[in-house]
Amino acid sequence: MSERTSLPDLARRMAAVVGARNCFSSGPDLLTYECDGITHGRTRPDLVVLPGTTQEVVEVVRLARASGRPIVPRGSGTGLSGGARPVPGSVVVALSRMRRILEVNLEDGWARVEPGVLNLDVTKAVSGAGYYYAPDPSSQSICSIGGNLAENAGGAHCLKYGFTANHVLGARLVLHDGRVVDIGGTSLDSPGHDLLAALVGSEGMLGIVTEVTLRLLRKPEATRTFFATFPSTDEGGEAVSRIIAAGILPAAIEMMDRLAIVAAKAATGLDWPDVGAALLMDADGPVAEVEDTSARAVKIAHEVGALEVRLPKSEAERQLMWKGRKSAFAAVGRISPNYMVEDGVIPRSEIASVLREIASMAKDQGLRVANVFHAGDGNLHPLVLYDARESGQEERAEHLGGQILRMCVRRGGSITGEHGVGADKAEYMADMFGESDLETMKWVRAAFDPECGFNPGKVFPSTPLCGETAGPGGRVLHPAEKSGEVERW
Amino acid sequence: MIRERQGTDDDAVQGVIPRIVLEPATLEEAAAALCRSAADRLAVTFVGGGTDLGLGGRPARLDAVIRTGALSRLVDHAPADQVVTAEAGMTLGSLRETLALHRQWLALDPPFPDRATLGGVVAANAFGPRRARFGAARDLVLGVSIVRADGTAAKGGGRVVKNVAGFDLPRLMVGSLGTLALLTTVTFRVHPLPEARATVLFPGLDATQAWALTSGWRAAQLEPTSAAAILDSDRFDLGVRFEGFESGVADQTARMLGLGRKAGLAGARLGDVEAAEFWRRHDAVREGGSLRVKFSAPPSRLPEMARGWLPAVLGELSPSAAVLYPTLGLAFASGEPASAASLVAGLHDARVAVIAVGGSLVLCEAPVAVRRAFDPWGAPPPAIDLMRSLKERFDPDRRLSPGRFVGGI
Repeated sequence: MSERTSLPDLARRMAAVVGARNCFSSGPDLLTYECDGITHGRTRPDLVVLPGTTQEVVEVVRLARASGRPIVPRGSGTGLSGGARPVPGSVVVALSRMRRILEVNLEDGWARVEPGVLNLDVTKAVSGAGYYYAPDPSSQSICSIGGNLAENAGGAHCLKYGFTANHVLGARLVLHDGRVVDIGGTSLDSPGHDLLAALVGSEGMLGIVTEVTLRLLRKPEATRTFFATFPSTDEGGEAVSRIIAAGILPAAIEMMDRLAIVAAKAATGLDWPDVGAALLMDADGPVAEVEDTSARAVKIAHEVGALEVRLPKSEAERQLMWKGRKSAFAAVGRISPNYMVEDGVIPRSEIASVLREIASMAKDQGLRVANVFHAGDGNLHPLVLYDARESGQEERAEHLGGQILRMCVRRGGSITGEHGVGADKAEYMADMFGESDLETMKWVRAAFDPECGFNPGKVFPSTPLCGETAGPGGRVLHPAEKSGEVERW
Repeated sequence: MIRERQGTDDDAVQGVIPRIVLEPATLEEAAAALCRSAADRLAVTFVGGGTDLGLGGRPARLDAVIRTGALSRLVDHAPADQVVTAEAGMTLGSLRETLALHRQWLALDPPFPDRATLGGVVAANAFGPRRARFGAARDLVLGVSIVRADGTAAKGGGRVVKNVAGFDLPRLMVGSLGTLALLTTVTFRVHPLPEARATVLFPGLDATQAWALTSGWRAAQLEPTSAAAILDSDRFDLGVRFEGFESGVADQTARMLGLGRKAGLAGARLGDVEAAEFWRRHDAVREGGSLRVKFSAPPSRLPEMARGWLPAVLGELSPSAAVLYPTLGLAFASGEPASAASLVAGLHDARVAVIAVGGSLVLCEAPVAVRRAFDPWGAPPPAIDLMRSLKERFDPDRRLSPGRFVGGI
């Protein structure tokens, strides 16, 4: 590690690589990069660089690392766990200029794309031919494939189709020393360790991905959707359990509680009734199969006490139903000045009792919680509503969010189903994993990046740093920490 | 106390007989076995049902075999959540029995289900024809407990179907062949048993016809759970299996037959007995022979695979057999080598050809004479440095299955 380069000097060298327009250390543009989708935690980076090619990424990484500065990779910045939040003194490497779809091979079912390509644009590029890219996070029209890979993004349809991890076939990765490595490929089972397993979901801590090969699927022949309302989440949860127990694997099965329904209505103008819970289910596949499974699911919904079941009369109406669901997060802004999105997972059979527990914890804090979630896989998105102008509310909201995550762990679930751990949930990792578990994960990180200069401060609780176990002499200092620019990540 | 005995011929891993055999019966004993190995600096190999010991290289060192067969308990099955956790030494067959009581199954169908253990299936990335629909171990594993080379127990993943907390240790273990840690428990996502199933058989196809039919059902948006083309002299018998609700299976079966008719190919929906017979033929290819080879290539290369690469190996075997999974781009050849020297030449030619299209050729089982002359994995992949680095962190003394993996790892 050489002497720390001065910022103006580094900025000048970076500008020589990526062009002056694509490198800045001050001005209003910098503001955008101080946070991701979680806007309450802001940190000003030293520098933001937007490389346009793999070779530029290589040079950017070399320069940043030689300057002793940590690197924070970034896609569209839509993440909801602070995974792209800069640390003090860092260089943010934003991949948003790298947005070419490089190659599409429908015969073998894959597309090779740059990391800045937006999720939905992959599907748009191949939908004319009847193919699509399955992972569909709610932010799919603005989130990038690189960010999806980093966070192992999910979406409503991953109950049937799996996560990003199930749909990435290969990646080109720039390592800490500027080496470029290709992992995986377009054939299955490349000999060797499954490095893609380590890479997908590594939250930007292993390197910078500059190309991704994605699996493309043939569109299902038919999709049948229904929207059902229930007096309360008890009946809604029961419907989900019975549908699954009947052997039906819905493409998606989503639930909203009363508050979330109110918010979605306010935002979209949908004529949804005021009820205790609503379910939105997609069944997809060959037409005879989905007609059958959808009819069976509707029958179950009635049996457990659905107030009403609506079947969309057109694709436009179906899209509108989904719009209501997908806009529910943002819609909550209509009914509360502020809110926090949580992302916990519980065994799906416990949905009803978990929701009652959340309601009771919220009551104790004097707060309201709206629930929108992927019911089929037990992935809750409680939205904790608060008013930051009221003294103490924000702290209580944070406290409640933490209580909810810990309850998820207590019930055998997880602190994150799809948003990632990021900076925001790192402290809860210790609730879910023991010291040796975390140490083992750090080995994986250190195998790729021994100095842990990629995206520090994420995933792992704050000490000890990196993959280094504190020796007899105490904690091992990170180079950037030694240099005094970072106190503690 | 861990059960310990001297190694015998029956414990040999590719002909190498271990000095001792440790047979832990509890998770604590499993950790103790690794602690002991660390203290005594023993090179160890983990053995479940021993069904995939032919995969990979001959151990560079082998002091102890740790057998997981006594770690065979069901830890937890939550039918309503469709997840199951079991100790790694439980056989797939035994897990199937447990799950079937709740009309569920683990959608993994590798060879030798009555002997293959869950840990072994994960470590060897073993799979069968249903991979076409349900994916392989990496798509179904949710969590693992492991014991590391230093004897420390650790875990990764979880017990819910959706979870992105922390680095993905469960998937990293898939296919790692005991080079990173000992698997002690595995959590899988399970599926409801299908209400109905049917296999449609198109006998006597040539490679082009088989690929055209595969493209045809994809274009028609049919969704079989398996497809296997079994070689019969120079023609293929293509079996396509549909599973699910009765109405969907009946409809897809009829449409599949219609696609065949349109292409001038006579197919038939097999009765239960005939279907079982077809899939037994498939199993025989995967389980038989002193030589077994796995081919991987982009699926669209099926015709070249069938006409060139497979025959390069099959021509050196007598008897010989092969099965091709057309939607996956994977194929297996098996049989008895006539001459090791000419077989190695055939294997070499086939490997060069599949590598040229981005694929691979791996030995799953082979006589010693073949192994000596032919690397079971082929040249190290481009990311070998990262794999070595990973190995260095997990097993710095190189005591876990040394020499068995890619690049001599």
